Amino acid sequence: MSVSSDLSKDELLKAYRMMRTIREFEERLHVEFATGEIPGFVHLYAGEEASAVGTMLHLNDADYVATTHRGHGHCIAKGVDVHGMMAEIYGRKTGVCHGKGGSMHIADLSKGMLGANGIVGAGGPLICGAALAAKYKKSGGVGVCFFGDGASNQGVIFESMNLASVWRLPAIFVAENNGYAEATSSTWSVATDNIADRASGFGMPGVIVDGFDFFAVHEALGEAIERARHGGGPTLVEVKFSRYFGHFEGDAQTYRAPGEVQKLRDEKDCLKRFEERVVRAEMLSADQLRGVDAEVKTLIDSAMTQAKAAPLPTAEDLLSDVYVSYP
Amino acid sequence: MPSPVTVGVIANPASGRDIRRLTTYASVFPTAEKANMVVRLLAGLGVLGVDRVLTLRDRTGVAALLLRALDTHAAVAAQQRWPQVEFIEQPISDSVSDTHAGVTAMLKAGVELIAVLGGDGTHRAVAAHCGKVPLLTLSTGTNNAFPDLREATVAGLAGALVASGAVPAEVALMRNKRLVVRCVDGPNRGREEIALVDVCVSRQRFVGARAVSDPADIEALFLTFASPDGIGLSSIGGAWAPVERTASHGLHLRFARPGGVGAIGAIGVPIVAPIAPGRVERVFMRTCERFEVGVWMPLDTEHGTLAFDGEREIELERGDRYEIALDWDGPLTVDVERTLRYSASRQLVREVANVAAHHK
Repeated sequence: MSVSSDLSKDELLKAYRMMRTIREFEERLHVEFATGEIPGFVHLYAGEEASAVGTMLHLNDADYVATTHRGHGHCIAKGVDVHGMMAEIYGRKTGVCHGKGGSMHIADLSKGMLGANGIVGAGGPLICGAALAAKYKKSGGVGVCFFGDGASNQGVIFESMNLASVWRLPAIFVAENNGYAEATSSTWSVATDNIADRASGFGMPGVIVDGFDFFAVHEALGEAIERARHGGGPTLVEVKFSRYFGHFEGDAQTYRAPGEVQKLRDEKDCLKRFEERVVRAEMLSADQLRGVDAEVKTLIDSAMTQAKAAPLPTAEDLLSDVYVSYP
Repeated sequence: MPSPVTVGVIANPASGRDIRRLTTYASVFPTAEKANMVVRLLAGLGVLGVDRVLTLRDRTGVAALLLRALDTHAAVAAQQRWPQVEFIEQPISDSVSDTHAGVTAMLKAGVELIAVLGGDGTHRAVAAHCGKVPLLTLSTGTNNAFPDLREATVAGLAGALVASGAVPAEVALMRNKRLVVRCVDGPNRGREEIALVDVCVSRQRFVGARAVSDPADIEALFLTFASPDGIGLSSIGGAWAPVERTASHGLHLRFARPGGVGAIGAIGVPIVAPIAPGRVERVFMRTCERFEVGVWMPLDTEHGTLAFDGEREIELERGDRYEIALDWDGPLTVDVERTLRYSASRQLVREVANVAAHHK
């Protein structure tokens, strides 16, 4: 079994559009958050796009994803509506969760997005549940749990990986190691240094992949997801990369070296790397990509304008969406 | 006072964690075991007179575990002579350039020998910069063709006998072949890469997760040697026309695309070979020829990637024209068995150990 990394032009264009949409969405939020209009905290995914997109291109609406507090990128890549997301972040009634979730609780079950999550490591049990359901119902679906280097030290993630292995669930654990749990360096806090090394303790394969390289992520996750779909059980994939912004917006990032982020942007931008390679391979032209850039900018402009103009939830809305009525 | 006998040690912290853990049943070689292997190597080196070891820092725990082991040794077993271990001061980039810079620094420091712990890729990275300094090769895992899979203590004994000059170079060392690929025209003109075991022209367009996992991706293969009991891409040559490391030639194989247009696969000879641990695959070979030393052969391919010792490295660009040649400028490596056999015939271990003990 091998997943080809040879993508068609349409697939490459789709991948670029997704990554560019995430980047534009996050860069714009970075600017807008400073105006004080956005309630709560936002944690931005810029710089990490290759991970979400390289994974999500292998998934469909029947596959489930649970993400983290840094979840915008995963939501966009899983197909959650960008207008609805922006409205949600602004706390508007037109948001995907009617403005009551905000940045850290964006969810859209119709797209298989179980939600961003404010609780570190909370996606593990959710994905075990989704994967168990897929296995039980023989739907062919898989569950993908994104978590960070901070969550990699949480008991709930260990328990989830153990359960997934014991029950041989179609689950994929994607450890997005961006180097810092809030302000704590993963080289200090993760005892094994490589999160992937923990996989053997749970009886599953563990691999490390360069998170700045879309093609590397796409190929490795393709293998892991195919393996899960065909009854091969869970996999732990550690994606190593770094984030462009702070832990949250407003984080002064005094724990990072001077010039660290600029160096990342200059030398390890997953979008620039993607462009260099697809243009060199004559799969896509720079003009095509600039066309996508313009379309994405229009999309984000529109999402931002609509979100700001949309109504806030009313007091009565506090009483809706509280309980689910089962038939 | 004679200068201390110094040996470099490179233990690749990143080896053994790539996609092959997923696409094959390749072994996982944990950080703790790499550090333990260095410790066993130190025991062998130290007892036979190596005074000093230079090694690299890393961020994945090999150096940290080694430091802990050195503290323990000093506390409980100091009577067993270990070399003094020093870490080279250089920035850590968590990439292959750490190895390149480390080897350069070791050469500058005058090491007699470099012990390498890693896979084919690690050895290739060291070989690109080690010049005339011989390598003591140690495989960290079962997925490698170039380095020896053996106990590090024993390798350390042989390494010490070579580094100290107790066993002459003409007995202890062997010269290896290598493959050189150079770009002679196009946007990447001037680029040059080497391989110690194999160069594969892969049909995959992008480097991606690097490993060549699917036999259908193999367009052509150039081999420096092909052991009949080898693992990896070179096993394909080994299954059809084995070539010794010492043979004066290599191999060049071309493959049909299975199930391609017009069933081209049917015109190839089916060969079954262990291309990876737990993966015995069938490939359809179109041609298999001797590849002679010193002949530059054009790599006729427009798309795809070039893989070196099993890892895709170069994405082909329009206009790029690559050539490949085989030469004898690969690294010198320690023949551990021959070194220790020579040593046994002259009872060198007893003498050298006595000298080392008194020296202490």
